Amino acid sequence: MKGHPMSTDLATDRFHHASCRQQCRRDWLGVLVFLALGLVPLSPTLAQNRLDQIRNSGILRWGADQEGGGPYVYPSPENPNKLVGFEVDIANELANRLGVEPAYVQGQWDKLPDLLNRGDIDIVLNGYEWNPSRSERFGLSIPYYVYQLQLLVRDDDDRIESFESLKSKNSSVRYRVGVLGGSAAHDYLANELGDQIDIIQFEGASEVMRGVELGLDGLDANLQDLPVWNFYRSGYPRLRPAGPPIGPGFYVVMTRKEDRELLKAINEAILQMLSDGTLRRILSTYGLWDTTQAMRGLGVNPDGSFVGGMLSSEDIEATSSSTEVFHSARGWTVVQQRGLLLARAAGMTVLLAVCAMPLAIAVGMIMAVSRLMGPTWLRFLVQTYIELVRGTPLVLQLYVIFFLLPELGFSIHAFWAGVLGLAINYSAYEAEIYRAGIQAIPKGQSEAAMALGMSRFLTLRRVILPQATKLVIPPVTNDFIALFKDTAVCSVITVVELSKEYSIHARSTGAIVELGLLTAILYLAMSYPLSLLASYLERRMAGGAR
Amino acid sequence: MIELHEIVKRYEEHEILKGVSLKVSKGEVCALLGPSGSGKSTLLRTINGLEDFESGHIRVSDIYLGPRNDPKRYHALQGIRKRIGMVFQQFHLFPHRTVLENVIEGPVHVLGVRRDEAIERAKSLLDRVGMLAKANARPATLSGGQQQRVAIARSLAMQPEAMLFDEPTSALDPEMTGEVTAVMADLAREGQTMIVVTHDAHFARATAHRAVILSQGNIVEAGEAKQVLFDPQHEATKRLLDRNRS
Repeated sequence: MKGHPMSTDLATDRFHHASCRQQCRRDWLGVLVFLALGLVPLSPTLAQNRLDQIRNSGILRWGADQEGGGPYVYPSPENPNKLVGFEVDIANELANRLGVEPAYVQGQWDKLPDLLNRGDIDIVLNGYEWNPSRSERFGLSIPYYVYQLQLLVRDDDDRIESFESLKSKNSSVRYRVGVLGGSAAHDYLANELGDQIDIIQFEGASEVMRGVELGLDGLDANLQDLPVWNFYRSGYPRLRPAGPPIGPGFYVVMTRKEDRELLKAINEAILQMLSDGTLRRILSTYGLWDTTQAMRGLGVNPDGSFVGGMLSSEDIEATSSSTEVFHSARGWTVVQQRGLLLARAAGMTVLLAVCAMPLAIAVGMIMAVSRLMGPTWLRFLVQTYIELVRGTPLVLQLYVIFFLLPELGFSIHAFWAGVLGLAINYSAYEAEIYRAGIQAIPKGQSEAAMALGMSRFLTLRRVILPQATKLVIPPVTNDFIALFKDTAVCSVITVVELSKEYSIHARSTGAIVELGLLTAILYLAMSYPLSLLASYLERRMAGGAR
Repeated sequence: MIELHEIVKRYEEHEILKGVSLKVSKGEVCALLGPSGSGKSTLLRTINGLEDFESGHIRVSDIYLGPRNDPKRYHALQGIRKRIGMVFQQFHLFPHRTVLENVIEGPVHVLGVRRDEAIERAKSLLDRVGMLAKANARPATLSGGQQQRVAIARSLAMQPEAMLFDEPTSALDPEMTGEVTAVMADLAREGQTMIVVTHDAHFARATAHRAVILSQGNIVEAGEAKQVLFDPQHEATKRLLDRNRS
């Protein structure tokens, strides 16, 4: 489905688009982890045999991202609480053959290899394709699927007949081709036509198809993974394939490099699934069984004889009776169907925010006081902390807490890592707000307190901080609302909150606008009461104004 | 009971107090007068440590307070501040608390008095300064004179052995000055030890036992209040009283 970000360095350097920034960020985060991995000795748990651990625990933890959508791993249209997809079926079969239960772990797609290294999952099974650099760093299984790429254009656009048409010597115009950023299709385009076309990177596969349909940003075509096109084609009636599929490659299961026994067991299981026809049955269910799979020798009958390019009547039946193929859901129906899930994810957003903000305020307050009244060394320390935290992006801080701390022997649950990251990030801002608030209290107030015999601590607690708190209500409310929206960043460390849940459902249904509106309303419904509460507090404390 | 010995206070190059000594006995009301910039407020504030000093020392009953580099200063100040109350020119009531809460703040949180006891006592003090009716009001809703009377009650609630007044009526309209000086005169009659920095010679004559005149960081004249203020000897005192009359 996608290529590893590190393999696309050259491509991103050559093409500067808006989303390039994001891509570069991922790249250097990758480098950072890579460096840390080199510096820190592997923790002792990794030395044990992973396969034995899996068998002892009875659970195979497999990582994927449902945001990728159909036909890989996606919420079932009938029951959005249930995950379906050919990779779900394959994972179930693999676990079954290892004699354990499968356990799905949600992770941001491009962070799945990091989750693997972190030890949160045993395997990655989510459209990761084989490539040489990846095979050096991870254990890669024999393929469970042979993918191809399909060029898509608008139905009424007769300029582009095939991939060849894009080449500049065949055309007077410079085409603009959309692609999923960091995907295998992206690599392929950059290698083949990098200097002859404009490559526009998107964040999701279905957005590119919609983009070409509407001609957004002058888009002419989309190079798409064939399974995605096959799955979603009914939702994009104004698109047509141009030319035959191209650029085949292999989807493989990833394990850690050192988990050789596990990789061997997975390979054996895949071979079994090949030889008893299970794999062919699964792929057929999702309309993925095609001549390419057959040409690779990926299919035999239950009696063990090879099934060639022709689909058997059994396969056709499996395909046509499949109920899981994409039906684009729109309008009120989709809101009704997925609204509850979004509301539930909003609960996670609220939980993150209400856990993180009080922490941020408390830490910020302590730091403001230390900075104003502490000894010189403490002031310096606090100042450094504030500059460091304020001057680096939240996403990096979350990343360090979640992925790098375990390398040093501190493991932390994703939710608490999110809370901690948000709290640390916002504490720096609260510290500065509180500093301003404390400095705004007239000197006479602390003199009056001291003249009553109050200690410095008591003066702070009883006189200065209560008044400063009243002053800082408006800016702190501002930050609270900002933090609410920043919880979205936690999706990089596997926390599924409102905006991640939105992406998952918007991409699996195509209802980008409807669910987007609902999501916006949910965010508003959370932040507006906060504004009301803040102005209520301000009014209530206004009695103390001078 | 309060004794200042050779207090020297410098601010950068400028010497604000040039070795001032002063003694105030128990039950005495001492008025500190002097032109602006003479150092009278600074002198008052050295007694409870709101200003430090370069050399000399202060004794409050048995507590010794040394100059700024004395390591025992903080500890000594905690003791002095519990015994000596202060009333400021700008009142400095706590705006986030009611009148009653302002008055019980010190007893409850510094002396550890039980809250109900403190409230009981605070009410009688507020009654004494004529502010009981406003016990539940916020300071911002009070006039300057009312705020200053509450500030005096707040200071009295600590049952201080002595009280420092830093120009208590200077920020008030003439009509309100009377209500504050009446309370202070009442305190003086009951034998409260007081040091009052003031511009108000009339008040000093009527209420103070002793008057001390400061000019340019030195005491230029001191003695019985009536004598000093009716028959000044020093030029600075005469100028001060002339200006006061006009």
